[in-house]
Amino acid sequence: MIRRLIAGTKRAFGLQRPGRNLAVFPDDTFLVSYPKSGNTWTRFLIANLVYPEKKPDFSNINELIPDPEALSKRHLASMPRPRVLKSHQYFDPRYRQIIYVVRDPRDVALSQYHFHRKRRVIDDRYPIEQFATRFIAGETSEYGSWAENVAGWLATRYRSEGFLLLRYEDMIADTPAELAKVAAFLHISADASRIAHAVAQSSAQKMRELESTQTDLWSSTKDTRPDVPFVRSARAGGWKSGLPEASVRELERAWSPLMKWLGYELASSPAQDAGSAQLQESLLGERIS
Amino acid sequence: MYRLRESLKRFLGRDIAGRDFAIYPDDTFIVSYPRSGNTWTRFLVANLLHPREDVTFATIEKQVPDSEAQSSMQLRRVPRPRFIKSHQYFHPRYRKVVYIVRDPRDVALSYYDFERKYRHIDDAYPLASYVSDFVAGRMISASWGTWRENVGSWIYTRGGSPGFLLLRYEDLLADTLKQTTRLAEFLGLTPTVSLMERAIERSSADQMRQLEKTQGDQWVSTKGKRTDIPFVREATSGAWKTKLAENLVAEIESAWGSLMSTLGYELVTRPEQSPREAPTARSGLGLQTSMPRSLAREQH
Repeated sequence: MIRRLIAGTKRAFGLQRPGRNLAVFPDDTFLVSYPKSGNTWTRFLIANLVYPEKKPDFSNINELIPDPEALSKRHLASMPRPRVLKSHQYFDPRYRQIIYVVRDPRDVALSQYHFHRKRRVIDDRYPIEQFATRFIAGETSEYGSWAENVAGWLATRYRSEGFLLLRYEDMIADTPAELAKVAAFLHISADASRIAHAVAQSSAQKMRELESTQTDLWSSTKDTRPDVPFVRSARAGGWKSGLPEASVRELERAWSPLMKWLGYELASSPAQDAGSAQLQESLLGERIS
Repeated sequence: MYRLRESLKRFLGRDIAGRDFAIYPDDTFIVSYPRSGNTWTRFLVANLLHPREDVTFATIEKQVPDSEAQSSMQLRRVPRPRFIKSHQYFHPRYRKVVYIVRDPRDVALSYYDFERKYRHIDDAYPLASYVSDFVAGRMISASWGTWRENVGSWIYTRGGSPGFLLLRYEDLLADTLKQTTRLAEFLGLTPTVSLMERAIERSSADQMRQLEKTQGDQWVSTKGKRTDIPFVREATSGAWKTKLAENLVAEIESAWGSLMSTLGYELVTRPEQSPREAPTARSGLGLQTSMPRSLAREQH
């Protein structure tokens, strides 16, 4: 009752963090991904690309690429437009301009496991196999399961105007090339030196340095365990050594069609009935990579 | 002032539930894009669940309440397990979902009449303009997404998983008993054939037209709307073949052709370049039971 009264009063004054209930403007661009898929890195890349003079760091990133989970409704409404916003939301038809970052779910599971340790959601003894099972069921996130989040966006928006799909792995392999796609999508004329500057300013090493001094200045790391870093390995394929084989199999059994479509090679060979495999083949058609 | 009133409404639980109300793990949702056979399915579900009760427009909001018309407070009072009607695009907290899909060429025609009934557009508004609005999602009820967004967001995330039943309106028309059997099974009910036949009879288009005539002013979805345009329309499939001009058919098919053919809706115009198909989250789309076996072959 008291909690609802406080929430109601906050709402009346526009002080609540809107999250999914954000008031969307038609000229908004959203940087969307499932959690732990390279969103913060991409956020820094874009901030350094669009606002190099602001010297983006963890203290001002929310002013440059705002997070509707971290800022108040009133604050968000008063920001200069057009806005580029950060989001982890599953499909929302009101988002018209979307940069969607996708990452191998085996690495996402591993990264989220450590992130939940950092945030004290689970303790160090929590079995990773159990976490993986809950991850697959979509129980470790309020943004749907990885597959629901990814497939929901692809099924509705892939190949339509206003949708740019990036793979985290491609960004790792050739950051300038992928950032150039972002620049074109945002209609920013960026030469090679501007791109190179943004890439350098957003490197994992640079972000680790910032994290070590600014952890208390950023809503996502404040009051979390300092011994578990937010900026982790920043590489692809960590699951090969970090995720138990049984969990890899379980995850691939659940999501193999979507993973294959995205070009994530399977380590196991999940059984499929012939009929649905045939249907998939026609659906999967050409792949991204 | 508007904000204050909205906050107060929300605090008191008087706001329309929509997407934001307390969802329980044992809830079942009857979901579809508007004008796709949701009310018919709702009546079937209510008649299966309550064989000894009357199911009418005066009772349906209690038996299978509408989250798009009832407040969150009212939904909280419904005894569990609840069976709730919805038009929402994908919602991760809906764990058990009956999704009804209908040929979008027929949906467009039905929606046009419905928008006139609701006085959102007047009779002079050209069907051609309406179809463009429909395809682009420029409608009063745009918060449910476009047909493609609504359908795609559900079947590619949940298709083929155990908590998801896909019903095609056309299959429901062609073999109501067979599809009602699937529905009952999914709901965990074991009705006898005669009970199912009675549920079908009580949910028939004739029966619903009769009820609409006498109870149109008692139901939240028809109250205060134009009475010269019925809510329960023809209840047929394929009306678009005679009523929708070829260029309008082509407009819909070129926008959504690949999703339509995935669902077994044959294309009659040849879209020059249909957008490629999206990937499924799981194996298959849950279409196997209702789709012709040849479908997978046809798509090659």
